[in-house]
Order: sequence, then C-alpha cells, then structure tokens
Amino acid sequence: MILDFLEILNDYPAILLLIIISIATLGGGIPPILERRRRRGLENAISEVLELLSDNIGAGEGIQQGLARVAEVRNDLFGKLIGDAMQASKATSFNAAMAEMAVKSRSKQVQRVINLILTSLEGDAPMQDVLFDMSQEYSRLNKLMNKRDTELQSSAFLIIFFVGLMLPAIIAFMIGIFAPKSSGMVVDDLNSIMAYFFGGATAISVLISGRMLGRMKSWFWYVPSFALFSMLIYILGFEMIS
Amino acid sequence: MREQEESKDLLYAIRALEIMMSSGIGLEAAILSIAGGGYGIISEDFQKMIKQQKKGKKLEVAIRDLMKKSSSKGYNKLLTTMYNNVKSNTDVLKTLSMQASAEEEERNEKMQKYIEDLGGLPESLLSIGMISPILLGLIGLAPQLMGDAGAIMGTLPSNSTMMNIVRIGLGITLIGMAFIGLKAHTKDPGV
Repeated sequence: MILDFLEILNDYPAILLLIIISIATLGGGIPPILERRRRRGLENAISEVLELLSDNIGAGEGIQQGLARVAEVRNDLFGKLIGDAMQASKATSFNAAMAEMAVKSRSKQVQRVINLILTSLEGDAPMQDVLFDMSQEYSRLNKLMNKRDTELQSSAFLIIFFVGLMLPAIIAFMIGIFAPKSSGMVVDDLNSIMAYFFGGATAISVLISGRMLGRMKSWFWYVPSFALFSMLIYILGFEMIS
Repeated sequence: MREQEESKDLLYAIRALEIMMSSGIGLEAAILSIAGGGYGIISEDFQKMIKQQKKGKKLEVAIRDLMKKSSSKGYNKLLTTMYNNVKSNTDVLKTLSMQASAEEEERNEKMQKYIEDLGGLPESLLSIGMISPILLGLIGLAPQLMGDAGAIMGTLPSNSTMMNIVRIGLGITLIGMAFIGLKAHTKDPGV
C-alpha cells in the first residue's frame, strides 16, 4: 500500500519536495497563531482595563494606585503586565516602567494607549474623562475587528474548501471517468499539469483567505501543506476512480 | 497605496490629537507625540514635519507642504484643521471630534462593504477554477478521445500542442484567480 503510494508519487518529484517543505513549515505556522491569540487577548481587554482605571481615578485614586488596583482585580495577562510594571516602577520611574510594559505587550493598540496616558499625564489632563473616552473608542474598534473575523471566517474557509478540496476531487473524478487507465489513454502529462494547477490554485486561495482575515503572513506557512493536500487529492482521486 | 496607509491610522491619530488637545496639550506637543510612532505613515510624515521645523521652517508652511503630499480626503481635512489652528487659532477640538466621528462612520461603512464584497468571492473563485480545468481537461483529452474522428472533424493538433494549450490556459486561470482575490487586499478597510 505504502509502496504503491510512493510509486505513484515517483512521477511527481515536486510533490516529494513539497512533502519535506510542508513538514518543515507546519511548525513555523504555530508561533504566529499563538502570538496573535495573545495579542488579541490583550487588545480585547483594553476597553475593560481603561474603564476600570477611569472608575478608580474617579473614586479619587492616583494613576499608579488605580493601575495597582487593576492589576489586583484582573488575573489575565494584562493584569500580570500591569503588576510587573508597578513592581518595576519602584526601582525605576513610572514612565520607564510603563514604556517597558508597552514594549512587552507587543501590541500596537496597547502601545498607543500607554503613549496617550503618559502624554495626558504630562499635560495634567483630566484622566478620568480621557480614559473613559479611550475605553469607549477601543471597545468600538475591537468589536469591529471581531466582526471582521467572525463574518469573513466562513468565506475564508469556504474558499479553501472549494478550491483545495472540492475542485481537485471533481476534476479527478471527471478525468478518471473519461480517460481511465484501463482504456489505454495516455494522460500522464495532463495529470501532471492538473496536479500542479491545483497546487497553485490552492496556494492562491490560502493566501486570499489569509488576506481576508488580515493574517496573510501567518497563513503563508500553511501554503505548502494545503497545496500538497490538494495535489494528493487529485492524484489519488484519479488513481482511485480509474 | 499611500491613500490606504493614510486611512489605516488616520482615525487613531485624530482621536489621539483630540484626547491630547482636550486635556490641554498644545498642537505642537501633540504633533511631537504622534511623531513618536505608532501611527504608521502619519507618524513618519509628522517626524519629517518636525525635522523641517527644526531647520527653521514655519509650522504652517510644513503643514501646507504635507497637505500637498497627502492622498486621502480625511488626512487632508485633518491637516487643513491643523493649518487653520496654527494660522488663525480656530477651535480645533470641535472640528477634530466631528472629523473623528465622520472617519469612524466611514470606516464602519467600508468594513460592511468589504464583508459584502468578499461574500461572493468563494463562488467566483470556484466558478473560474472549475470551468477552466473542465474545458481544458477535455481539450487535453481530445486527441485521444477523438483520435478516430479525423474523417469528420479534420486533423486534430498533436497531443503536445494540446498540452501546451492546457498549460497556457491553466496558467491564465491562475492569474485570473489571483486577480479576483486581489480585491481582498486592495479594498481592505485597514481594521
């Protein structure tokens, strides 16, 4: 069975190469996914953190006191980052600790928020209002980002399903019915062209799907695996039908 | 491309300016804060503006130069507001708030349109991706399927010619699919 499978693949050297590339890149796709999950977790919490901080300041606490309270209440990554920053501020300055926290968050949104808080503090601004306004704004922004994700996810998966799975299966069935091996027709060239076409089409569809969701770079790692999968469906589908 | 990059960070930059200026920070300090980074191409533009100012150029002239360079309508409006504030000390807060609301509304509309536009993308890709290999597959098989029909059909091109046609056809199909998918990139609302 395995030998038969390898015998079939022997006619497609690019697939053998793609198997190696796929195995290598499968692992590379995991860190961007984990990083994104971490970043989105932080960004989705911004609104709550700012609102809580605004309430604390409204109750008469200072910004550092308010942040320390937020760190106590929240047991997620955001709370931990704030807690660490408050600890660090004892050894350095508040501004330096917050700047370090912004860098550690690795999130553009968090960095913007911290930059604004620091600038507003320097300007002696009414922090309660500033923080509340920011919390509302970031709440709306993150809702919109989540909406994009949920509404386009189905389309993105549909593209990969249609082009990467259905299309090669249908064409393999069609060519297998019209020109089965037993008929003596020579379709090796056609099969090879079709297999590479499906590999290319699937690669394009994975990139399009990734771009739709705004994560093309992290999906790039999975292009070889999906292309390989699609090519195998066509080749093995044809072998089975004919 | 520049227009897309400007629009991407514009709303955040306007909101940041609004927050800073409502809390009593002056326009120049607010510009300096934005130039510090985090707002993409807008930060870069503001950095250049500060550099020009340091060389002795007036702020209003630097803003006017930037207005000529800007591509998006919203960014141009923001720069005009800043210019008017520097030149005539106009009430910048109210204008910024209105601009931010308009920009936010536009972003929501763009987002909705993007979702609607891309809703039909799977079907479009499947259509072109299916019709082309079916037709070209039949063309590729034609010399063998109709090898004995020479008397009726006339002489068919050789198998290698047919394979070249299939290759070119499928190549064009791939390019077509990439072009259809390009709108996922070009129409991105930047959210």
